[in-house]
Amino acid sequence: MSVLFQLFWSFCQIGFTSFGGMSMVPLINDEMVSHGWMNVSEVSDIVAIAEMTPGPLGLNCATFAGMRVAGILGAIISVLGVLTPTFTLCAVAAVFFEKFKNSRALKNIMTGVRPAALGIIAAVMIDLSRTNYLVNGVFSWRAAVIALLAFYLLARRKWNVPKVIVLSALLGLLT
Amino acid sequence: MKKTKLKKIWEMFIYFFRISWFTFGGGWSIVAQMQKDFVDGKHELTAEELLDIVSVGRSLPGTMIGNVAYLFGHRQAGVLGGIAATVGMVTPPMLILSVLTYCYTMFKDNMWIAKMLQGVRAAVVPIILVAALKLRAGAFPTKICYVIAIAACVLNAFLNVNCVLVILLAVVTGLIMGKWKEAEA
Repeated sequence: MSVLFQLFWSFCQIGFTSFGGMSMVPLINDEMVSHGWMNVSEVSDIVAIAEMTPGPLGLNCATFAGMRVAGILGAIISVLGVLTPTFTLCAVAAVFFEKFKNSRALKNIMTGVRPAALGIIAAVMIDLSRTNYLVNGVFSWRAAVIALLAFYLLARRKWNVPKVIVLSALLGLLT
Repeated sequence: MKKTKLKKIWEMFIYFFRISWFTFGGGWSIVAQMQKDFVDGKHELTAEELLDIVSVGRSLPGTMIGNVAYLFGHRQAGVLGGIAATVGMVTPPMLILSVLTYCYTMFKDNMWIAKMLQGVRAAVVPIILVAALKLRAGAFPTKICYVIAIAACVLNAFLNVNCVLVILLAVVTGLIMGKWKEAEA
């Protein structure tokens, strides 16, 4: 019971402090690792799985984490946690839609949050790099080459993410 | 409750349930589909209204597309319409992910799968990086925003300040900056 409540509370916090997409990754990394629900490698895995499957990243992560910690019920509770801002704040916004549309406070908040979200995304990249490019404390050249190739394909050749993930998996087999 | 209203609520559930099996790319494909069906097709929504829904949905916390589904469902069929749309939207990805999580847990220690995952993990940081580079546009309207970004990174990565707290600090900073700007003007 208490684990379900912890899951709900964690994902509720993640929901209220994330603003879509990648901005959820650092929050999920923090919460999952500090509770011991996932290790950093598993966080990388779920980002990749979420990018390969339909549905927003936050929901996919909630399903994955909830299911691993407490089965189907855990998944449902976690998803409800992520959706709490939708069923509360957004429900209010829907009623007073015209006011929210031009809200100055909302714009001001976003001016602070957008750069901070990028800051914590940078932080999570540092964290993930520590485990993804160091194998037992030794720098992995193979992983680094895959990373550079992935960056080149995504940024320069405009490959889509699922294609890059499939290629990286195949390159992983060669090692 | 009137029968037509119930029917509208049901329609919201079914619509989002149907389209969310194929939402790759962080929900933008759902917005594109809504544009096609409700703006160009049924003319129940103007392009401007959809834009407003998306911009409000984006600036509220939580998953962007969950918020968009709720706002649209609410507009079409009230509170229950909003809930129906959101639940319809989240069910397909939940089903898919539940199956995948089961498979992941079963097979992740298989030698071949483990090797593939090692390759995939190497690609995750560049995937996040490329997505973050796209988010740069509009994130730095003033120079102080660079300070906020660097401070957020240092607080979380090196001083172990929890992400939730970092974002709450950023919310307060944004509000204070707004007040300053008003005072100046």
